[in-house]
Amino acid sequence: MLLFSYLLMSGITTGALYALVALGIVIVNKATGVINFAQGEFFMFSGYVGWMLHVQYGLNYPLSFVLATLIGFVLGMLTDRIAFRPIAKNDIVSLVLATVGIGFILKGLARVIWGGRSDYLSFPPITSPDPIMVGPLMVVPQQLAVIAGTAVIMLVFAAFFRLTRAGKMMQATADNARAALLVGIRTDQIYTLAFGTGAAIASAAAILTAPVTLIYPDIGFAFFLKGFAAAVLGGLSSLPGAVLGGLIVGIAESLAGGYIHSSVMELSPFLVIMVVLVVRPTGLLASRRARTV
Amino acid sequence: MTIRFSGVPTLLAAALAASAATAQTPGVTADTIKIGSFGALTGPGYLYGKLPMNGVEVVFDEVNKAGGINGRKLVLMREDDRCDPTAAIGAVKKLVEQDQVFAIIGGGCSNATFAAKDTLEASKVPTLIFASVHDGITTPPAANIFSTATTSSIESQAQVAYAIDQGAKKIAIVSMRDSWGRARYTPLLEAFKAKGITPVADEEMSPDANDATAQVLRLKAAGADAVLLLLYPKPAAVFIRDAQKLGFKPLFLGQTGIADPAAFEEQVGVPGATANFRTISQVRYTPEDPKMDKWRKLVEAKFPGDRLSVYNLFGIGSAEVLVEALKRAGKDITREKLIAAFDDMKDFKTEVYAAPITCSKTDHRCNKGPAWMAKDPGGPIKVLGFTAVGQ
Amino acid sequence: MPFGRRNVFLALLAFGAIVPAFANGYQLFVCNLVAIYIILAIGLNLLVGYAGQLAFANAAMFGIGAYVIGLLQVHLGWPFWAAFPIGGLVAAAVGTLLALPALRMSGLYLALSTLAFAQATQWVFLHWETVTFGAGGFKTPQLSFAPLPIGKPAGLYYLSLILVVLLYLFARRLVRSRIGRAFVAVRDSEVAAESLGIDLLRYKALAFGLSGFYAGIAGGLYSALLNFVAPEGYDLFQMIIQKSTIVVGGMGSIAGSVVGASLIILILELLREVKGYQEIAFGALLVGFVLFMRGGLIVVVRRYLSGWEEPLRLTPKAEAPGLPRPDPQPSVAEK
Repeated sequence: MLLFSYLLMSGITTGALYALVALGIVIVNKATGVINFAQGEFFMFSGYVGWMLHVQYGLNYPLSFVLATLIGFVLGMLTDRIAFRPIAKNDIVSLVLATVGIGFILKGLARVIWGGRSDYLSFPPITSPDPIMVGPLMVVPQQLAVIAGTAVIMLVFAAFFRLTRAGKMMQATADNARAALLVGIRTDQIYTLAFGTGAAIASAAAILTAPVTLIYPDIGFAFFLKGFAAAVLGGLSSLPGAVLGGLIVGIAESLAGGYIHSSVMELSPFLVIMVVLVVRPTGLLASRRARTV
Repeated sequence: MTIRFSGVPTLLAAALAASAATAQTPGVTADTIKIGSFGALTGPGYLYGKLPMNGVEVVFDEVNKAGGINGRKLVLMREDDRCDPTAAIGAVKKLVEQDQVFAIIGGGCSNATFAAKDTLEASKVPTLIFASVHDGITTPPAANIFSTATTSSIESQAQVAYAIDQGAKKIAIVSMRDSWGRARYTPLLEAFKAKGITPVADEEMSPDANDATAQVLRLKAAGADAVLLLLYPKPAAVFIRDAQKLGFKPLFLGQTGIADPAAFEEQVGVPGATANFRTISQVRYTPEDPKMDKWRKLVEAKFPGDRLSVYNLFGIGSAEVLVEALKRAGKDITREKLIAAFDDMKDFKTEVYAAPITCSKTDHRCNKGPAWMAKDPGGPIKVLGFTAVGQ
Repeated sequence: MPFGRRNVFLALLAFGAIVPAFANGYQLFVCNLVAIYIILAIGLNLLVGYAGQLAFANAAMFGIGAYVIGLLQVHLGWPFWAAFPIGGLVAAAVGTLLALPALRMSGLYLALSTLAFAQATQWVFLHWETVTFGAGGFKTPQLSFAPLPIGKPAGLYYLSLILVVLLYLFARRLVRSRIGRAFVAVRDSEVAAESLGIDLLRYKALAFGLSGFYAGIAGGLYSALLNFVAPEGYDLFQMIIQKSTIVVGGMGSIAGSVVGASLIILILELLREVKGYQEIAFGALLVGFVLFMRGGLIVVVRRYLSGWEEPLRLTPKAEAPGLPRPDPQPSVAEK
């Protein structure tokens, strides 16, 4: 039982991270229909920016957090302007490739600017490193901080979508862009907002987990892959689905590693996805939408 | 920039020029020697390509400042292989056939270098490998390929020997499944067999892993008292951090992939977790050591924003060996003379390697003496001794 | 049509045929790579550009072809010439199986499940060490063209060139036939296609199988070129390069595949000049191509040159047979 609890706990922590990446992907996809393949690189780049602000320039943690998230938001907006808006009507493969291109640029930039510092950047932990006891489990406070932070971010965005005008406009645009235009919603601004928000979530996730993830330029794609898998698992148009998907992917990984063998850890999320998609091809929590013909 | 492919005239001209150049020694002019380098400049393997190349350039600068080798300045030409076998073969072909370099110092990712070995061997260009550890590169030895990287079988044998030496009875392995990890894993299992023991647990981690709870719990359940880490620094740090959290405190043995105990301690970030961590290093000093101040200044001046790392030191040590061999080959330098100079190198002391460099005609693995290091948490780095592994 | 497709490609073919006479080893290596990627691009375009299936598994097929051909030689001692077609067929078979999930999913969901399949294939390459030799890969025996008096680099190059021509002509013939039209119908609207009596499973399976075959053949040539097979070459970066070739060249165009593949491979080699900035440059080029050349290079070519159309039918539009030619009627005004 103890083994299970530990595995579950670590699965939830990694799952929370994947959920945040998935959230960013779903937000962009809901509004624009595009999968942002650079989401992982947003995560990585903001992590470096956060490191630069907090460690190199010595700003305190909360300020670095806010600034890095803002910079992430700007990155997202730039991506929308450069790689989405001009080609919004292209086929999906071109759109995907454009975001892939942005991802390469960010990765190359990060490697050129910070890559010479060797293979890690030490980020001071935001909580004390000594483990504490939660029930029978020994937990590192950083883990709890990640889970708590993820929950807060998710609640903030849920509130944003449900309670603010901008959030409702985003939902409207996602449902039916033409109708939204007709009622006077500036859909192009919504697209920008969506990209910016998606990137901001990635940045927030990066700063939150920087002490844990040991940033280097190539971590982006692995996170993106798991996040994309989680997003599709949950249903690409469902925000709670992204969270659920992320948790499932994280927990499946952890349990498979603990009970079967660590060599299947990398494979298990994809096996889960292949199975789920065969049974429910549109994901777990996707609303049943009529198929346009 | 003209595309060299299109246009028959350009190609014919290039072919003519190439044939004219080979009339004398390729890559050598009256006042320069062109040295080629291949390795990962982009992609995750860049630590084993770009950073050692930076170290090589810094050594070349120092040599050129002092007048060069027998009056010739050294010029480094870099090529990127992205850690990909095809790109490595392309890079080597370009260096040899298009850029006409005199010799090559390079070799980052193991699979890429191994894929290019046949091309290197056929070209007969003297080649010094600075980071690739794949045994297949140096065994069976090719006449023109030498290595200053401690090969994976040397390190794996050293790990097992050290663990047994320290009294461990239940040794476990955690490895990465990529070519770097596998290059160490296979000789490691053979080293186990040679000593008549088997690993008590055998787990794997991905280079991107952020959590090792599952692996730690399984090793703990198996009762391991020593864990051989065939991992890059990041997954190793994650592993040790989770081990500390779960109360698992065996002896941790690293290898030259984790060659900087001080940087590693910082990476793990949990005080006291690295108390039982020992690792092997090809190089004798870690970047923080005052003896490396000269190199730190040079690297950080030439590459602003970088900081001196062990990967730079790999390149620095290897370049020192190349420079010495070039000097010994004399003023009328030819490729054969350079190869002979390598073959005859015995007990050459560099500023960074742990052991003196010795090659021979039958054994081109020139660096066989990695140093064991430890660091008391918060204390200085101690060199525990050298393991000279014969085969 | 002096710069029409036929003339340009024939000229390129003639040039390609004499390349071994004056190119150095590096240049010949790159030209051989171009040939291999042309084959890959044509196959991928059939699946993604013509049949509209957003599949990300082509790199895995590429790898399966390379592994099967290499392993048959290494484990069972088969000669290359026997193993080569088998590799293509195995990849085709695996590809056909992917048509099954393609029936239930489309768009991004299909993308993800094919991505998942690709990751699973990588996992098998890495972990099934007794068969695939795991992460370290394995060397394949040197290819010999005896009794022909030709060395391996030139021989392999000519083999690749011949296959490019054959597979190109086959693809061109295919898209102008009923099958090609059926692909496009499936792409443009599955429901409408079904209502026309097009069997979705049959045509999707055909598309997946064909692209698998092309990828498998390309994989065999690739393994012979490198004499080495390892998991690295068949990962998602490889998939991105392949997708780039068809997007940059032009989706839904066989000629575009040729143009796109040549250009992308040449660009990758030219990017060597910018050393450590390759990633940034490649990313910028991708974004640039997508932004400024909607529909790919082939669209630009068609705007300025004539003779590059690729109609989906064999004969030019003839009048419907059986109907009498209408007499030229006097215009109403003249009456």
